[in-house]
Amino acid sequence: MITYIKLAWRNLWRNKKRTLISAASVFFAVILSLIMRSMQKGYYDYMIDSSVRLYTGHIQIHGKDFWEKRSLEESIYFDETVIQKLKKNKNISQIIPRLETFSLISSGKVSKVVQVNGINPQIENDVTKLSEKIVEGNYLKENSSGILIAEGLAKLLGVNVGDSVILYGQGYHGVTAAAVIPIEGIVKFAIPDQNKSFTYLALNNSQQFFSAYDRITSLSILLNDADEIESTKTFLKNYFDNSYEIMDWAELSPELVQSIQVDNASGIIMLGILYVVIAFGIFGTIMMMTAERVKEFGILISIGMKKGKLAIVTILETIFISFIGVAAGALISIPILLYLVNHPIPLTGETADAILAWGFDPIIPFAFYPGMYFAQIWTVLAIAFVSALYPVNFIRKLKPSVALRG
Amino acid sequence: MFTSNFLSAIKIILILFFILPAKALSQNATEIVKKADELMRAKSSYTELTMKIIKPNWTREMSMKVWALEPDYALIFITSPARDKGTVTLKRKNEVWNWLPSAQKVIKIPPSMMLQSWMGSDFTNDDLVRESSIINDYTHKIIGEEKIDGYDCYKIQLTPKPEAGVVWSKIITWIAKDLYLQPLTEYYDEDNKIVKRFEGSDLKTMDGRKIFTHWEMIPLDKPGNKTVMDYTKIQFNIKIDDSFFSEQNMKKVR
Repeated sequence: MITYIKLAWRNLWRNKKRTLISAASVFFAVILSLIMRSMQKGYYDYMIDSSVRLYTGHIQIHGKDFWEKRSLEESIYFDETVIQKLKKNKNISQIIPRLETFSLISSGKVSKVVQVNGINPQIENDVTKLSEKIVEGNYLKENSSGILIAEGLAKLLGVNVGDSVILYGQGYHGVTAAAVIPIEGIVKFAIPDQNKSFTYLALNNSQQFFSAYDRITSLSILLNDADEIESTKTFLKNYFDNSYEIMDWAELSPELVQSIQVDNASGIIMLGILYVVIAFGIFGTIMMMTAERVKEFGILISIGMKKGKLAIVTILETIFISFIGVAAGALISIPILLYLVNHPIPLTGETADAILAWGFDPIIPFAFYPGMYFAQIWTVLAIAFVSALYPVNFIRKLKPSVALRG
Repeated sequence: MFTSNFLSAIKIILILFFILPAKALSQNATEIVKKADELMRAKSSYTELTMKIIKPNWTREMSMKVWALEPDYALIFITSPARDKGTVTLKRKNEVWNWLPSAQKVIKIPPSMMLQSWMGSDFTNDDLVRESSIINDYTHKIIGEEKIDGYDCYKIQLTPKPEAGVVWSKIITWIAKDLYLQPLTEYYDEDNKIVKRFEGSDLKTMDGRKIFTHWEMIPLDKPGNKTVMDYTKIQFNIKIDDSFFSEQNMKKVR
């Protein structure tokens, strides 16, 4: 066996250029597929991270059944001491209390059902940067008695900062909640649904308005590291009894999970197409290599070389070439990927403006996981090994007489 | 000649024997339902009642005055608790309007809120305005006779007519034979599952009529929930016309 390996190795370096060209095709295959997958994964991570930051948080705590029924009857008592205790968990970076419910908002002849979010202005702003979305008027303060309404909703109602709207809904335990509330500010959201139906009250004010004193409907929790979701969920489940529900972002936004799954499927198809191109590239180079060695093979067989042994040598050659290509590709791609992860490609021009308006940063983000890294390497290796079967078959069918005549 | 005459005679006899009695019976059922409906609703009425909303972990009590002009108009004025006092709900045909004294404003309830509960009770806004009339939108059939709460009752099944926009697949109501009161009504959904019971009891004479003054609406899909109504005063066929049921009047009624 050692002899075969020696032979194959020496064969490689008899013709350096040929070897380098084949190895390069494998090398670029690895780098390309890695960068492509990294871009897809990076985009998903970024989507998840943005949606978590802008809206749901990594984990939410509600009263049991709140997520299904969405009524104040499933609200929970807001206990500051609990917050302090939870903050001791080093995975938890932010805890955001909210009182979310639906009400009728009305001005003049127009009425509409809207979502009323009772928020702690300070904490909310730390996380979702809500104050930066103000297009007119002022952001809420802790003791504000005014309301922030979304820009599309303001248009619909024909109101502006300084006008008042009527908020009319059902408070805790079915009491009527109705009041005239001055508009403090107007916030603009990129997502059309939000821009037509979101309103904000200061938490204290909304608790009073809905007679839900000291109550909230959800605690959103942001983690320092998204990988700690499961462990933190377990921690929270042990901390809270079963009159609470603990949900992670995937349960809270199944539509996001679904859209990522759909996109991922198309990403895998794209990757598949890339692999086919790569396979033909590798296969092509090996075919050429084989074709130009017809005479060599013919002579070897004529002077008594066994076809089987020759096949083994060529297989080894292909394996070496693939390994050289894959190893080089893998090594070179690590710094490239690390650089891209830390310096996402910035977008400019109109695309950037559009993405900014949606509340995201205008970048093409990348991600880097060992799992995804090795998946690409194995795939490219497999393609190279399959291509190695071509010269074997070629040698099996080779007639020295024909080969020698060239 | 003879045979055709004979056949038509047979037909007539058959009709007399089978079809007419069925017709008479079904008319009978319709008559009974009509009588029961008129007894409780009359052409117009003024009612004072308390409504108790019972939930698994809290209850709430409200008192109200109700003016009604069948079938299109009703005006509900809340008299207690203090927080809701002065709130007025006006039902006009298939629209619901609310007067909110704290906001000094009349608000029309949009279609998207019609299925929300009215004042936290087990009634929805839609229940207030639903146009379905148990007389015109259903066919009626006596399916038995049973004793309920000591009253001898006809058990009558109401099946919605195909063109009626009704949410129930059927309603079964028990109507006391001599008093024409309904101690029990059951509502079934499209899977023929019973969804809610409506029970009447506490017989009293009010405004010259013997009526039930205690009603309970029990949604069976929500255990521990119940809405209970007690009539404290009722007047039938009062003098009232549709001008009473106006936006202006919502702000004035006391």
